[in-house]
Amino acid sequence: MASMVASGNRDGQPLVPKGVDPETCMIVFKNHWAQVVKILEKHDPLRNEANAVQNYVEHMLFLLMEEDSGQAGAMGPILEFVVMENVMERLFVWSLRREFTDDMKLEQLKMYEMLVGQARQPLLHHKPILRPLMMLLSSCSGTAAPQVEAELVLLLNQLCCVLAKDPSILELFFHTSEDQGATNFLIFSLLIPFIHREGTVGQQARDALLLIMALSAENERVAKHVAENTYFCPVLATGLSGLYSSLPTKLEVPNEEWHCLHKEDWLKMPSLVQFLNSLEFCNAVIQVAHPDIRDQLVGYIYNGFLVPVLAPALHKLTLEEVMTTTAYLDLFLRSVTEPALLQTFLSFILLHRHESVHILDTLVSRINTPFQLGTVSLALFRTLIGLYCEDVMLQLVLRYLIPCNHMMLSQRRVVRERDCYSVSAAKILALTPSCCSPDRSPPPLRQLDSILFSKGISCCVAVLHHFTPCSHMSNSLFLLCVSAALRQIYLDVSYLHYLYDARLSISGCIQACQVWSALYDGEDPPPEKYQPGVLEEPALTRTQMVLKRVPKPVAPRPQHRPQPNTEPPAVNQLELEWDDSYDACPVQTAEAPVESKPPQQPPAEPPKHIQEMRKTAIMLVKGTYIEENEFQDDVMVYDLVAKKDARDVERAKLKSRGSESESTQQGSAELPLKNGLSLTLPPSLMAENSMKTLEPKATGQTDCKSNLQNNNTAAAELGDDLLAQYEELIRTLDSEAGGKQVKTDAEVKKPVAPAAEVEEEEEEEEMDFTSFSAETPEPEKVQSPFGPKFCSGSVGRSHSVPFTGPFVSVLLSRMENMLSNSLHVNLLLTGILAQLAAYPQPLLRSFLLNTNLVFQPTVRSLYQVLATVKHQIEEQAASRKDFPELITAAQHWLLARETSFMAAAISLDRTDVFATVLFTEFLKELAAIAQEHSILSYIPMEE
Amino acid sequence: MLPFFFFSLQRSDNEEQSGHGEQRASPARLPFGKKQLPPIPKNAAPITKPVTTGTPAQSANGTHASYGPFYLEYSLLAEFTLVIKQKLPGIYVQPSYKSALMWFGVIFIRHGLYQDGVFKFTVYIPDNYPDGECPKLVFDIPVFHPLVDPVSGELDVRRAFTKWRRNHNHIWQVLMYARTIFYKINTVEPLNPEAAVLYDKDVHLFKSKVVDSVKLCNSHLFDQPKIDDPYAISFSPWNPAVHEEAKERMFTYKRRPEDHHKGTQVSGLSWVKPGSTQPFSKEDGSPQS
Repeated sequence: MASMVASGNRDGQPLVPKGVDPETCMIVFKNHWAQVVKILEKHDPLRNEANAVQNYVEHMLFLLMEEDSGQAGAMGPILEFVVMENVMERLFVWSLRREFTDDMKLEQLKMYEMLVGQARQPLLHHKPILRPLMMLLSSCSGTAAPQVEAELVLLLNQLCCVLAKDPSILELFFHTSEDQGATNFLIFSLLIPFIHREGTVGQQARDALLLIMALSAENERVAKHVAENTYFCPVLATGLSGLYSSLPTKLEVPNEEWHCLHKEDWLKMPSLVQFLNSLEFCNAVIQVAHPDIRDQLVGYIYNGFLVPVLAPALHKLTLEEVMTTTAYLDLFLRSVTEPALLQTFLSFILLHRHESVHILDTLVSRINTPFQLGTVSLALFRTLIGLYCEDVMLQLVLRYLIPCNHMMLSQRRVVRERDCYSVSAAKILALTPSCCSPDRSPPPLRQLDSILFSKGISCCVAVLHHFTPCSHMSNSLFLLCVSAALRQIYLDVSYLHYLYDARLSISGCIQACQVWSALYDGEDPPPEKYQPGVLEEPALTRTQMVLKRVPKPVAPRPQHRPQPNTEPPAVNQLELEWDDSYDACPVQTAEAPVESKPPQQPPAEPPKHIQEMRKTAIMLVKGTYIEENEFQDDVMVYDLVAKKDARDVERAKLKSRGSESESTQQGSAELPLKNGLSLTLPPSLMAENSMKTLEPKATGQTDCKSNLQNNNTAAAELGDDLLAQYEELIRTLDSEAGGKQVKTDAEVKKPVAPAAEVEEEEEEEEMDFTSFSAETPEPEKVQSPFGPKFCSGSVGRSHSVPFTGPFVSVLLSRMENMLSNSLHVNLLLTGILAQLAAYPQPLLRSFLLNTNLVFQPTVRSLYQVLATVKHQIEEQAASRKDFPELITAAQHWLLARETSFMAAAISLDRTDVFATVLFTEFLKELAAIAQEHSILSYIPMEE
Repeated sequence: MLPFFFFSLQRSDNEEQSGHGEQRASPARLPFGKKQLPPIPKNAAPITKPVTTGTPAQSANGTHASYGPFYLEYSLLAEFTLVIKQKLPGIYVQPSYKSALMWFGVIFIRHGLYQDGVFKFTVYIPDNYPDGECPKLVFDIPVFHPLVDPVSGELDVRRAFTKWRRNHNHIWQVLMYARTIFYKINTVEPLNPEAAVLYDKDVHLFKSKVVDSVKLCNSHLFDQPKIDDPYAISFSPWNPAVHEEAKERMFTYKRRPEDHHKGTQVSGLSWVKPGSTQPFSKEDGSPQS
């Protein structure tokens, strides 16, 4: 009907010539309508009569569109006539009576799109226009024709734009729906099914929804409606789960150096792009929407995506899968910008327990895996540390430093002491290996070698004027350097760059940490208050924390229910098809958090809307769904959503049930991956430099020989791979260590336990934890890079023994093995340590940088580790005549990476050589940070 | 009473005092994010103190000689931030452009015998700081004072700091001492025996000599700085067109932390309740950034 109208207009030939007087237009309009009415009233219009209607209507719409509003905003005469005669509705009803094809829907949608977009007077304020529009929209909701969908979303988007500009129409939108017997905000509901669509349609729908979200921030009614009467939030959150399930479970990693998903990586993965679009949309909704909606959405993302989907994905069976999930998580963290959404992700990482182990502890323990998983995990922690989040830093490092028992009691005052004379920097730089002495390398290279360490951080140096409060200082410093350089004194000019970078990074960090709650300076929080044990709260409290932080929903929520795994066994099969994530968020109720509640309660009725939704979904599954309501009812819309979701959920359920059974069979095999890998890797493994011999075998999973009895299932094969890797490790280590590893023998047996013993196994796992934590780190154990303590984390560790936390331990361990680490691992490691060192909190700063601080004998400091590495380097250099040449070659090679400078070939396998070069540069970086701390942290500011 | 004048740093071009938050335009970024040295400033001159040449690669304590200047520079920076922190009444210092070892200063005496005195001075810091002798403080014009050398203008600092001890002695203490001598006159072992004797024997004559000395100093206030340096302190007569605006800014402006770190707009995150060490312990659970 409107297609010609639309096209006519697009050709730029308006059917109504300009300047025709309004009266004439009115007469023409009335005449046309009279003709149309005659045809409308016939029961069975002829084909040519239908065409005539189309022509008339086409012309009439143009007249309506071109009409200006009357005086003082009154309706123009044509509009008044349209309203009086109920023209639009009658036309719509007529077309319904005939065969209402997709083509007709398309035409009518276009007609309204044109009217809404181009009319010169407001039309939507009038019910006789709005009502048929709503009816039309409803009738289009179930359609599957892509063209109709596209046009529908376009029109909805347009309506939302009008709403955003003129919120007064909002009331009408609500009222119109009520007339239809539905209480919903139709244009909003209609958009929901398109939330996760890819392409233009999805984008338009999301844009339109965002307009409404922004509206909700101002309009209590919209907010209430969205939060209480729609499934917007659950659809959004579970949609993430759906999209996540279509992501590749194993990434094809381009090379060994690869450690995180860059834009150029994920742009090549349409499913990931789609996921990120939806995540970005969630982020945007949280940014603009009413707090009620925001809180609800965040809760659903936690309970509907992170816990049920991401947590298990982080605990998959193979290294590649786990590595892939870790890389995704890192990417998500880098994509999210809204604090509320970041909080959700972070509290998942910090507080959620998967099979009684905190996600954080698992992630930390994986840093120690010698495979690419270790590198990817490092990259994830680089992201985490870069958030300047107090909660993260507290859990990772600070909580272990607060009691101050990592240092001698007399040393507490040193924590806040200022290193006025760069004593620490001097001590750090004094660790420079003799083969890399700044007095040794030739001047040209010295000038350039600062490029070495730029590590992709794009910044250029303005040494001049770089001190804000006393910029003249740097002038003189600069002149000092220049004049020294001119006089051929070996002054390390590159060091200026490190100073400049250090200043940027520390001042940025100081600024970011201004929102923190405490100074962490050895007095605030007071160490006495947090003596051993105090920081370690019981498991229950932890869970409560999680619950507490999940925002209170506005909508009625399920009452307190037992944890999902304690659910009554006799559940209807179909019920199981429904996504439990909706009601598995028991703990969200306001009264839930607390001690007074008994740990278990009989399951209460889920809230009404969940019940409804579930009912509908069940009906769909059973295939007995009957359209009880007219299409204008929103239920239909939700059905569509629910149907899709139910399908997804079903798939997901099947999948997860599959993996559940896998893990039941292979439960024991999972053990080494989660914790065992790092537990069982012996100290000698890395220390003895055996990485190179190990890795090829470990990553190539095909040549594994399995001891498993039942390797006939795919699951078993997966487990197999892992076992094979694991055994490979053990074998290597046995030969290396000469069978000294008594403890490992016991652990070797563990993974091959038959499935029947799974439960026992799990108990053993628990026991392992406790036995580790009960262990006293004897000095030699502390020395061992793969000491078991790294994995026990927060699980029942006794604080009587000074311990700086698993994260620091694991970083220092890997650092100690610098010489055998690959170049990119060392870049990541030193990058993370430098980032940590830039934090201004005296506890952290003194721990990492103050070389005067006297630690407890069992505590390993960064300086100690660096000294160990230096020693290793000196030994290496002494035993190899060509070491200095190799160093020069490595320096040139690294320079060549950044410039067009041609370098002599040197194999990257010479990790010791590259590590030596990096080590030297890292010392400079650390020393520069220490020096800048002595200035920046003390610059007085106005109160 | 403060005479009408305005002292400023003698600065070559359009450089502005950094205090009001308007920082110098950042240098142009290089396309590849590479680090490079800035061009040598046109007024670059060799530093006053020659750097020790031909030193062995490592000094006795194992540190590399190449980094020595950096340690010195940062020690002096630390000293300077300490001075700022002390907020010494009536004392202003400014390290020179050419060497961090030379600081220009001025001291305003607000009451007592030397009331209304405005004395410019220069501090010379030994290049083996902090392990050497104590810094020297020399007044531009020798003030009539028992402890100030009538010829060189040098203040007898050493009597207060017989041995300069790192970590204990700081340059702000020297500045503080320079102020104290004008309020509490000491005549023991004077550098200017005439002043000492007069003070003990004929205070009236001493006072009138002091008044003359103060007048003399103040009459030379608008002279060109003794040492030609972009950061030397120079005085000029009050000129509303030039100084009014700056004065207003001085009285209204408070340096806020955000200004201080301009250009690096990073915001951290925290959901830790003050007084707690639990993550996400804030009551409301609403995001705080």
